[in-house]
Amino acid sequence: MQLTLNDHSIQLSAPVTLAALIRQHYPDNNGIAVAVNQQVVNKSLWEQTELQPEDRISLFTVVAGG
Amino acid sequence: MLKIAEREFTSRLLTGTGKFSRAETMLNALDASSTQLVTLALKRLDLHQGRDDLLSPLRKLGVDLLPNTSGAKTAEEAIFAARLAREALDTNWLKLEIHPDQRYLLPDPLETLKAAETLVKEGFVVLPYCGADPLLCLRLQEVGCAAVMPLGAPIGSRQGLQTKTFLQIILEQAQVPVIVDAGIGAPSQAAEAMEMGVDAVLINTAIASSTDPVAMARAFKLAVQAGRMAFEAGVAGPGQAQASSPLTAFTEAL
Repeated sequence: MQLTLNDHSIQLSAPVTLAALIRQHYPDNNGIAVAVNQQVVNKSLWEQTELQPEDRISLFTVVAGG
Repeated sequence: MLKIAEREFTSRLLTGTGKFSRAETMLNALDASSTQLVTLALKRLDLHQGRDDLLSPLRKLGVDLLPNTSGAKTAEEAIFAARLAREALDTNWLKLEIHPDQRYLLPDPLETLKAAETLVKEGFVVLPYCGADPLLCLRLQEVGCAAVMPLGAPIGSRQGLQTKTFLQIILEQAQVPVIVDAGIGAPSQAAEAMEMGVDAVLINTAIASSTDPVAMARAFKLAVQAGRMAFEAGVAGPGQAQASSPLTAFTEAL
C-alpha cells in the first residue's frame, strides 16, 4: 500500500502500525510529534494505530525559535 | 516572585532560542541569563537530514520549555501546532502566536482570541503574544490565559517600548502577569519595562544577534533585576525641577 510520509510517497508490502513506521525512520523519537491525516496522534496510541492506504503521516520536531 | 499558573519563577527574563549562530553559544547565553523559561518552535522533520538534539542540553540546563505556534496564520493552525507541541515536549504550556502578516509579523487579535479560548478549554496554559491593546488583553484574560504578552514594538525590530502608553493601561487592568514580548533591543529598554511594573520580558533577537550573546544575556539579566528592584522601591514620578540638595544660601556670605 502507498502512504505519504512528510510529502514523500512510500510503498509498504504489509500492514504496519504507526509505532513501527516511526521506529523504522526515527528510532529516537524523543521530541517528536505525529499527525495522521492532520489529526495529532497521542504517543500512547501509536502501537494500536494501523496505517491505512493513502494515509498522510506528518512528523514534527522541535527547533530553536523565539 | 513571578508566578504564572501556579508555577513560581525567580527569574523574570524569558528567552528565545532562535537566531543564535551556534547551539553552544545559545546554551551558554541561556545559562548566563539565568532564565527559567525558554521558547522553542516546531517544524516538519526533514527526512533526509539528521536532527540536532536540542532538548537534552536544554533539559540539562534545567529550564522549563515554552513551545510556540510560530508559523500559524489562523486559529485552526495554531490549535494544531499546540497539540503537536504538547505531544513533542510533554508540556501543556504554550506561547500562542498567530501572525498572518509576513512583513511585520503582527499578531492577529481575532484568531488569537479564538485559539486561546479553545486551547484553555483543552487544558493548555496559554501565554498569548498579542498587540498592546488593553481591551484585547482583558478579553484574553477573561477566556483564561495564564498571562498576556503584548508587544513593545514589531518582532525583531529592537525599537523598544513604542507601545508604552498602552502597556501602562494593560498593567493597570491585568489580573494575570504581563510579559513584554517583542521589540526590546537593549537592556536599558528591558529595565524601562520592568520599572513600569511589567512582570517579565521575553528577549531573543537582542541577545542572539549581539556581538557577544553570552555577555549580552548577562546584561539583560542584570537590567531586568535592576528594573524590578526599582519598581518595587517605588520609582519617583516626573515633576517640576526640584533640587535634591538643600539650597542653602551659603554664597551670600561672599
